Amino acid sequence: MASPALKKRLPDPAAFIERRKAPGESTALRLLSAERSEEIFPILLEEIVGLGFPRAMVLEVDLESGDIKPTAWLKCNNAQLQKFRTSLWSTENPVVASLHRMKPTIIENGGLRNKLLYSHPIIYRNRDVCWEAERERRPDCLAVQNFFAPRKLQLSDQVCASCGMRSYVATVLVDIPGDVEEGLQRQLRNLIELANRYLARLFKVQHYYNRMRDMDVTIAQMHTLMQSMADPVILTDTHHRVVMLNKAADRFFKAPEGVTEGGARAVELNNLLFSAALSSMAVSGSESSRDLTLVDVMEGEEVLFEAVCAPTYTTDTVRSGMVTVMRDVTDLRRADEEVRANLSKLRDAEEIVRQDRDRLNLVIENVGDPIIVADGAAKVVLYDPWAKELFGIADATRHPALVKNQAKLDAYLTSFTFSFSDKENRPLRLYHPGTKAEVEYAARSGKIYNARGQVAFTVTVLRDFTAWKRLEQLQLERRMLEVEKFAATGRLAGTIAHEINNPLEAIKNCIYLLPGKLQPPGEPVYEILKGETERVMRIVRQMLGLYRNTDQAGPFDLNTVVEDTLTLFARQLATAGVVVDKRLGNLPPIVGTADQFRQVLSNMVVNARDSMLNGGKLIVRTRHLRASDGVHGWLDLVIADAGGGIPKKMVDSIFEPFVTTKGEKGTGLGLWIVKGIVENHGGRIQVRSREGKGTIFKLTFPAVR
Amino acid sequence: MDATTKHRLLVVDDDASVLLTYQLLLQEQGYEVNAAISSKKAKEELRRSNFDVVLCDLSLEQDRTGFEVFEFARQMYPAIPCVLLTGYANKEATDRAEVGGIEVLFKPIEIEEFLQTIRTVLKNRHAKKKSNEL
Repeated sequence: MASPALKKRLPDPAAFIERRKAPGESTALRLLSAERSEEIFPILLEEIVGLGFPRAMVLEVDLESGDIKPTAWLKCNNAQLQKFRTSLWSTENPVVASLHRMKPTIIENGGLRNKLLYSHPIIYRNRDVCWEAERERRPDCLAVQNFFAPRKLQLSDQVCASCGMRSYVATVLVDIPGDVEEGLQRQLRNLIELANRYLARLFKVQHYYNRMRDMDVTIAQMHTLMQSMADPVILTDTHHRVVMLNKAADRFFKAPEGVTEGGARAVELNNLLFSAALSSMAVSGSESSRDLTLVDVMEGEEVLFEAVCAPTYTTDTVRSGMVTVMRDVTDLRRADEEVRANLSKLRDAEEIVRQDRDRLNLVIENVGDPIIVADGAAKVVLYDPWAKELFGIADATRHPALVKNQAKLDAYLTSFTFSFSDKENRPLRLYHPGTKAEVEYAARSGKIYNARGQVAFTVTVLRDFTAWKRLEQLQLERRMLEVEKFAATGRLAGTIAHEINNPLEAIKNCIYLLPGKLQPPGEPVYEILKGETERVMRIVRQMLGLYRNTDQAGPFDLNTVVEDTLTLFARQLATAGVVVDKRLGNLPPIVGTADQFRQVLSNMVVNARDSMLNGGKLIVRTRHLRASDGVHGWLDLVIADAGGGIPKKMVDSIFEPFVTTKGEKGTGLGLWIVKGIVENHGGRIQVRSREGKGTIFKLTFPAVR
Repeated sequence: MDATTKHRLLVVDDDASVLLTYQLLLQEQGYEVNAAISSKKAKEELRRSNFDVVLCDLSLEQDRTGFEVFEFARQMYPAIPCVLLTGYANKEATDRAEVGGIEVLFKPIEIEEFLQTIRTVLKNRHAKKKSNEL
């Protein structure tokens, strides 16, 4: 690879002559003075001629092309030089043959001018292996191999397997006169061997020099590479001292000039943190990583690094230090944290959804009615336990009636899901597996829409309508019983009253006939008789009124009853000085017994009249209180008088039988009967009264039942 | 009141004492009063002589009603004023009375009201009679 180019230019001859003439200088010392390999051959040739040989030259083999040509000569002319230009493949040439044999040879008739020519091949050889071979512990060093067992002169073979060094091959040709002594020949051989030894050494030095230059280039390349890395790279020795930093690392570990005190402290802290991380990494293993937060001195912000550390080794596998590469993971970690935060948020949301679902399931389980959830295609996705029972979902062998139930449900769901209404409320007759009978269910359904406004789910709740109806029926029956009881009481009272009526009629008539037929002392007795009889008459009349009203119930107009009653009492009221203020609103019909209402009205009007001894205003008002559905609702009837009012202590008991404010004249039955009738019609009666000011009765009834 | 203007009244009631007191009461007022205790007796009285007013209880012997008597009276004297006396007149009865132009009085009767009613129907009858004569 980096074979030193041997002598290419001729040295200045004058310089050599001067060296040769230097007194007391031995041949070995002269050779030693050569500092470069190309200086060896001229010195050698001079020494050879100095020994007394007429002329000499060096033929060098070009190991790339195989050409052989003279590269140094002394006392040879141009023609002589041309004669020895040959090639490594011209093996018939005795000189080339001697080169292949790699042994000094004397060639006859091959000389330049004399007959004998001495050819001494030299090759790069050394007793020690080269540095590379030693470092890599390889035995195949070319120089050593050439020293011990010269290999064939193959071009490719003359390259060192360890260091890639190309060998040099040459031969020293010396013209030998015929009378040359044996001693001189030996001297010549020694001289050439000595020269080759020096040459090999210089060659090796030059090779290493070239190698160093190559390494410089490599180091420069590596350095550039390191500097150009965006991540901080730090090279440390075994004591964790920083050997080298790249530019990216400088930012964090070297205080720039003119830095603030804070910046300097940050750098100090960065170094400290790094050393600590490095120590812990060195302990924990060959290759490990640590997270490290450092402060960017220039930007002043914190940067999170992941430091990856790898130990470096010498050729003897001894640890020489560490290489630490730090990766900026701030963004990565931030993204990671964000992902984690989102994940946790998602988990929380999921938890809330789960709780909601559990709560909903709990609600569904505890409603106690069959609940069915179906999807947008009317396919059932959920049955609650009651629905499962009703449709026989859990049974392997379903009762045929349950299969029919399922078919009815499917038809219902399909019609609802694809209808345009949001809600549905419709009765559904289904077979009830518990009672083994057809039962009417009230199906109530609603739709849940997805974000696109399509039906996502429908929820249907089935309510056992018969149970509901049964309850309603029971309530109705109970009320009917109350009515019946009241009616029975009325009938009993009526029957008694009727039986009393005839004797009473006779007594009353007799009393009427008495005046003038009595002695004066009998007069007070007559008055008592007359008064008490009249009282009995009033009681009997009330009771008969109750009995009398046994008409069929039906719808009637309350206003008509009010008008009739007021007309009936018009004269009496006028006589008593009572002015009627009639305010009748538009009313829906009431269902009930009109005659009973006539009694209610007449009792109330008579009471009002009796309370206003000196006349006054009687307000009769009717009103329809509409309910939200616009059809049903309430009726109210208000009868207000400006009479004497009800004493406070009596207000609470005014509706009890035989309680009266009229003393002897009252029966105490009027309001009791009114209350009974009002309550029989599902109504309510309220009273407000102030003594000396008047009384207001408010009666409320349901409009349609 | 003189004899020529004396009105003849027929009173019917199944209760003897009540019937008697009505008779006494009305006689005291100067009316000529015939009393009948049953519908049968009432019909006999109606056949025997003519009356200006018939007063009758609603419920008579067995299942007979006062309307039976009124109908019989009307057959004989189409324009005869009738007064129904009743302890418990149901709607059916009062409606029927109204259709027939029959006055209704509820027992126990207010005597003043009772007498006033009789006077009124007699006056109306006279007015009618006079208009017919004219």
